[in-house]
Amino acid sequence: MKKKGLVSTCIILAVAIFMAVFTGISFSKKRNFVEDVVTAGSAVTKTVKLSTYNPNLAGSFGDVDIYVLEGAEPGGQVLILGGTHANEPAGHMAAIVMLEQFVPTKGTVYVIPDICKSGLSHNDPLEGTPQYLHFTTAGGETRTFHFGSRASNPIDQWPDPDTYLHTSGEWQPLNLPANAKTTQTLSGSEVRNQNRCYPGIANGTLTEKVSYAVTNMINTLKIDMVIDLHESSPEYAVNNAIVAHENAKEIASMAYSLNLEEQGMKFKIEPSPISLRGLTHRELGDYTDAFALLCEVGNPSQGRFRGFTDETLAITGKDPCYKVASEIHDGKLLYVDYSSGDFPISLRVARHVAAVAALVEEMGFEYPEKEILIDNIPDVEEMIETDDLGLWLR
Amino acid sequence: MTPYMITFFVMVGVFMIGCFALKWPVGVSMLAAAVCGALEGMLAHGVGFTQTLTDTARMMVEGSFGYVDTILTIACAMIFMKVIEDSGALDALSSLLIEKFHKVPAVLLILIMFIIMFPGMITGSSTAAVLSAGSIMAPVLLLLGLDNVTAGSVIAMGGILGMIAPPVNTAALVICAGIDVPYVGFTGPLLLLTFPLAILFVLMLGLPKVKNLDYEQLKPALEKQNATRKEYGFKIYIPFFVLVVLMVFFKVVAKNIGVEDVGMPVIFLVSACVGLFTGRKINPLKAIPEAVRTATPVMAILMGVGMFIEIMTATGVRGFIVMTCLQIPEALWIVACCISIPLFGAVSSFGACSVLGVPFAYIYGTYLGGNVVVCLAAISLIAAVGDMMPPTALAGLFAAQVTGVKQYTKILKKCIIPILILLVWAGVVLVFSKNFAWSVFG
Repeated sequence: MKKKGLVSTCIILAVAIFMAVFTGISFSKKRNFVEDVVTAGSAVTKTVKLSTYNPNLAGSFGDVDIYVLEGAEPGGQVLILGGTHANEPAGHMAAIVMLEQFVPTKGTVYVIPDICKSGLSHNDPLEGTPQYLHFTTAGGETRTFHFGSRASNPIDQWPDPDTYLHTSGEWQPLNLPANAKTTQTLSGSEVRNQNRCYPGIANGTLTEKVSYAVTNMINTLKIDMVIDLHESSPEYAVNNAIVAHENAKEIASMAYSLNLEEQGMKFKIEPSPISLRGLTHRELGDYTDAFALLCEVGNPSQGRFRGFTDETLAITGKDPCYKVASEIHDGKLLYVDYSSGDFPISLRVARHVAAVAALVEEMGFEYPEKEILIDNIPDVEEMIETDDLGLWLR
Repeated sequence: MTPYMITFFVMVGVFMIGCFALKWPVGVSMLAAAVCGALEGMLAHGVGFTQTLTDTARMMVEGSFGYVDTILTIACAMIFMKVIEDSGALDALSSLLIEKFHKVPAVLLILIMFIIMFPGMITGSSTAAVLSAGSIMAPVLLLLGLDNVTAGSVIAMGGILGMIAPPVNTAALVICAGIDVPYVGFTGPLLLLTFPLAILFVLMLGLPKVKNLDYEQLKPALEKQNATRKEYGFKIYIPFFVLVVLMVFFKVVAKNIGVEDVGMPVIFLVSACVGLFTGRKINPLKAIPEAVRTATPVMAILMGVGMFIEIMTATGVRGFIVMTCLQIPEALWIVACCISIPLFGAVSSFGACSVLGVPFAYIYGTYLGGNVVVCLAAISLIAAVGDMMPPTALAGLFAAQVTGVKQYTKILKKCIIPILILLVWAGVVLVFSKNFAWSVFG
């Protein structure tokens, strides 16, 4: 090799090694970053490992904590899932707010704020998203949380197939609608989408194992209601909505008309499509006896119209591109009211808190034996007005 | 929106300067454009200098992994191609096909087109189609009398139609994932969109050259190929059979019996390993580095594309492009769709599906009330044209490579009419998607 060629090769190699080490440290730090969920002083009575419901998860990256908030009086049981899609931070943060603030006096609340921990441990290539979100608590302390990926980390399961054939594994349906198919072909990358892998497979991929554990947990503990917290792009039709399995349609409708609408909160009640498999509101309704629901709220930081993407966008929801989108074609391009030009995370979390409170209350109203009474539910109006999520974190 | 426009011009400007003034490789120009765009975009938005540098470094690496699976497929496909070329398998297959089908050249051409499309149909990748079946069929087309550019054009169009034809259409799958539509019912619309075009294009491009095919005149040119065939007999075709059997097994059968897909890279490598023992002697230590060296520019482009898209998204340029397309009057959306998606394909056709395909799918499938499946199928066909757009032009560049065409632009020029026909057909199906709803099955 000529001397000039050798020198340039060495320089390129040195730069490549530097970049690998420098960014490798950043990726490794994110992978191993542990969020400080504060249970001290909260109503959390115990934590249980998810692997209790699927031993194949033991010791793996998906073996997360289930936070149990038990009331003094027995009653119904609800499971709240956050972090299914780690690029939808309001779902994750709402679950954390609930586990740190809710004080059940009757019944039990189970919270898993990081159900797809693998997704929280990395960011989506090509999406240019921030790695973390920071909030300052009332005490002045800064708390750091993950902003992650829609899908599990390829480190945990790779490569993706060309197409993902979703199956229900060994599960036998309890409430499958007539003519419903239990298999479905999806995009290959959906094999790492937590919300396409239910009811799960005991010894499948990490994502399928986690889903299996959730389904098994619900059946084992006979949990009455499961609520999965999400966010969606403002241009996505299912937005600011509660998606309900057939078994939970009545509860969702009544919770909206008797409670949420009264509070001035607009929600669409969407039926869970029978043809779209693998989702919590579909499979957990079909394969368990729980009322299966999913809450969506608009999030400009994950949409395709968004402008400059950083932590500020994820927290404030202020975006000039979405503002333009809301003003053209009679605003019909968006499925949320974006006339204010923002959609802050405090509002998004408040909507989740309000929806969960209303759904749980309605279940107790319709089925007294499943009643759950919760104290210290954050005042959603105050939450929206103060526009500072940190105030609702311990 | 002005800051986004500035970042957009910085990225495009640096890319053009790198590519055309400084004559840097396309991948390197994209890297430079992404770095400059990131620095300008983040600093202009008030991000601190240190944070800008660390975020830029992270996003460059993150973005370069965006197409890592495709990069591995390309590297392994090139190794397979090199092995079958050196072993004499390509020569043997060419002579066999011409001998058997020379009396019916139109049928032979259509058969060749379907063979080219096949790997694309089961992998959803035009690269896989062009590099595997395309490279195998290239010598056949050349021997039939097609010039290099025409042969390359047939292969390139076969590659992009193959990636859209059912059963696996990655472009449609990307859009499906973006709007939560199950990949169900696509077989009919995709067959309708691709197969008539495949037959039309191969006859349009190839038939004038082969209709007066004289096999007796061709015989002397086939001497070397015939000799190879006779020397090794059936055994020389074994790598092809292994490739086809493994593809069909892992892409079609395996998922139905619960066996995991090993992926295209492994399938290509296993087939290449078999090829080492079925024909002329090959030195793998020489052949493999040569093959990887050939694929390096394209692999570099894909890494550059990943960085480019990541920075476009982070700096808001992606949103700016989408909003610019959507701000035009409704009546012109179809024009915007047929122009902007292929143009964005210059960066990446799958990127175009994600960035522009998804919003247009919302518009045609939901906002304008079309048939969602038909709309998605049509948009995926429009997006496939992106694989012909320079500088990435995966289908075109590889087609040029396998047919020995030095300037890829000659192939693009030859393909302009087929591409226009394709866009008109896809546009008609998209606009009148409800009228094609009958085709939804499978």
